Amino acid sequence: MRVLLTGGSACGKSTYGEALAASLPQPRLYVATMRPYGEESLRRIARHRQMRAAKGFTTIERYTDIAGMPLPAGGTVLLECLCNLTANEMFEPEGAGADCVSEIMRGLHLLADSCDDLIVVTNDVGSDGGGYGRATMEYAAALAWLNNLVAAEFDHVLELCAGIPLALKGGLPCLG
Amino acid sequence: MILIIGAQGSGKREYACQLGYKPEQMADAVLDERPVVYNAQQLLIEPYQPELLLPQLLSKQVVICNEVGSGVIPAERSQREWREACGRLSILLAQQAEQVIRMVCGIPLRIK
Repeated sequence: MRVLLTGGSACGKSTYGEALAASLPQPRLYVATMRPYGEESLRRIARHRQMRAAKGFTTIERYTDIAGMPLPAGGTVLLECLCNLTANEMFEPEGAGADCVSEIMRGLHLLADSCDDLIVVTNDVGSDGGGYGRATMEYAAALAWLNNLVAAEFDHVLELCAGIPLALKGGLPCLG
Repeated sequence: MILIIGAQGSGKREYACQLGYKPEQMADAVLDERPVVYNAQQLLIEPYQPELLLPQLLSKQVVICNEVGSGVIPAERSQREWREACGRLSILLAQQAEQVIRMVCGIPLRIK
């Protein structure tokens, strides 16, 4: 099963994604894509780690190049999130730059083929007034494009709204 | 309590009117004796602590809150924290609400 979770900031995506992953078979791999920058992100990472505690996740921090990471042999993978992964691939020196969309899709395909259940968390960065600089607009466009590609392929697409999962495609997945 | 959420201008207050409330029964980001409060997201001030607003908001008949979490993540820290607090407030309210209505283009979607 492949599930894409979307929604705005603090809408309950992580909580839902972790509950869904925790209901699916072990081993459970958490792919963290957010590179810690400063105190705010360390705090956020600590909070997410705490939320995953005792749910049986192994965490791997992978900021770019999903295709090159050690792939699991079955089980459940929760990747959080596509927004940070895309930003890293676009803007970090070791990232894929202009090829970020195809590189991320290649990585997701390898990941999907190597596990039983894949859950990917993303965000809806296009829903605002725009008017940012060129780099940010290119980033938003790349992430929107990725969201469309992933949603077209995945079995379930859910939007979280005030913590409530809304099925956009494929109905709600059964919490194992 | 009925929670009505949605984007700016999505028809949240109009929906409250359809529920039978009059504009004078609706308080704009003020917690007083009126049964409806709107712009609940503006009740969040630094340091953002959504849980502190819960007891008063849960005693309302209708709470209207904007969805502000979409779009590019703001560069300014306080704006980011406010957005997150709004999201958490909505989650906390939705957990305890009898109904959650999400407005899209003036259309009420009953999501709880």
